[in-house]
Amino acid sequence: MFVLIAGGGRTGARLANLLINQNYKVHLVENRRELLGYLHQELPTEVIYEGNPIDPSVLEEAGIREAHALAAVTSNDSANLAICYLGKTIFDVPRTIARVNNPNNAWLFNENFHVDVSLNSADVFAHLIQEEMSLGDMMTIFKIRRGRYSVIEEKVPAGAKAIGIPLKDMDLAEHCVIAAIIRDGVMTLPRGDSTLQAEDEIIAVASSEGAQRLSDLLAFPVYPIRNGKKKE
Amino acid sequence: MNFIVVGCGRVGAELCYHLFKRGHQIVVVDINKESFNRLHPDFRGRTLEGEGLAEGVLERAGIHEADGLAAVTNSDTLNAVVAHAARTIYNIPNVVARNYDPNLRSVIESFGLQTVGSTFWGAQRVEELLMSPSQRMVYSAGNGEVEVYEIQISDQWDGRTLGELLDPLKQCYPVALSRAGHSFLPESTMKLQTGDMLDVSSTFEGIGALTARLSQEAEA
Repeated sequence: MFVLIAGGGRTGARLANLLINQNYKVHLVENRRELLGYLHQELPTEVIYEGNPIDPSVLEEAGIREAHALAAVTSNDSANLAICYLGKTIFDVPRTIARVNNPNNAWLFNENFHVDVSLNSADVFAHLIQEEMSLGDMMTIFKIRRGRYSVIEEKVPAGAKAIGIPLKDMDLAEHCVIAAIIRDGVMTLPRGDSTLQAEDEIIAVASSEGAQRLSDLLAFPVYPIRNGKKKE
Repeated sequence: MNFIVVGCGRVGAELCYHLFKRGHQIVVVDINKESFNRLHPDFRGRTLEGEGLAEGVLERAGIHEADGLAAVTNSDTLNAVVAHAARTIYNIPNVVARNYDPNLRSVIESFGLQTVGSTFWGAQRVEELLMSPSQRMVYSAGNGEVEVYEIQISDQWDGRTLGELLDPLKQCYPVALSRAGHSFLPESTMKLQTGDMLDVSSTFEGIGALTARLSQEAEA
């Protein structure tokens, strides 16, 4: 697979590295002098194309006609929109992915500008932080579909609501599937009538809503209050 | 009519004043409120601080009531994106985008937008005046790809036909011939006289070739 990256800031350079390590063919277009020196240290020379990434002739020079995917990741939202638009309408790139720098501009990143997928870094990051704060001891193993689903691991604390309830009665369907229970170091694949015990560890696939419900079921009966009068 | 002008640089400020003087209602949008200092002191219209791309800004500028929008910032991609959004999302029929960097004109053109390249146009006009002060451009179509020029017929061509002058030229067509205060739609058989004023529609290459031909000595 051949990916053309427009924009060689931190995101573009990191993406190029990631893809090269997975044996993708990558070309990266950047024209800011102050970045090119750094890029040449980070990436193989044949990957880097010097030129303005919104100039169609530069994109063509960098091989856009052969690219399977185009990632528009400059720090300028209107440039990213124009790059996706040109990529699809002039060069027939099958898939376009754009970075949204300012969340206020996110509304434009759609089929109107031929953006197949947009990634709003501020928004994704804010959601991840929110999740880390709200889900306590739940650990996210990895995210699927840009963080809308995740594979999570959590320990069952003593006194949690979920203890003793068969999985099928937990009312999690559609939002969350408990895929594995690890008890005394042994992993089992549970069925609907399986129940949880204190100190079990579970692995689940959940939407953000499902993760929230699971978190409620596995929560301590009472949250310990910090700096407070009501310690456990 | 109601117009939205995005970008209050020199072009934007001048455009706002022109439209205002003709009695139109203007909303001018710029991300930097200092830019509104460029507006003419007599200008009366609404100024709106905001980024043209940001959600809700065009709506606050009254895009639902707008008859036209001009995107005239110094960013070609911003102009293209704002103009494309105005046309496709809000169905504004009359949308014009400024081309700032001549190297990026193809970006705006690929959106199928009406574009005015002030840098390119200005440079070409200066070049024309420097190279051939005797010809006068009377009308400029599009971005100056085709222009109508007025030229004076020189002694060398007195008594020869219009066809003889223009037929060998590929990019130059007659529009009107003026003689003694009257103008005609010229035919190629018409005999030229010294002092005739000939209007031709021509590309930049065409007018160059015509100028060269006019100053040539009559062919044997």
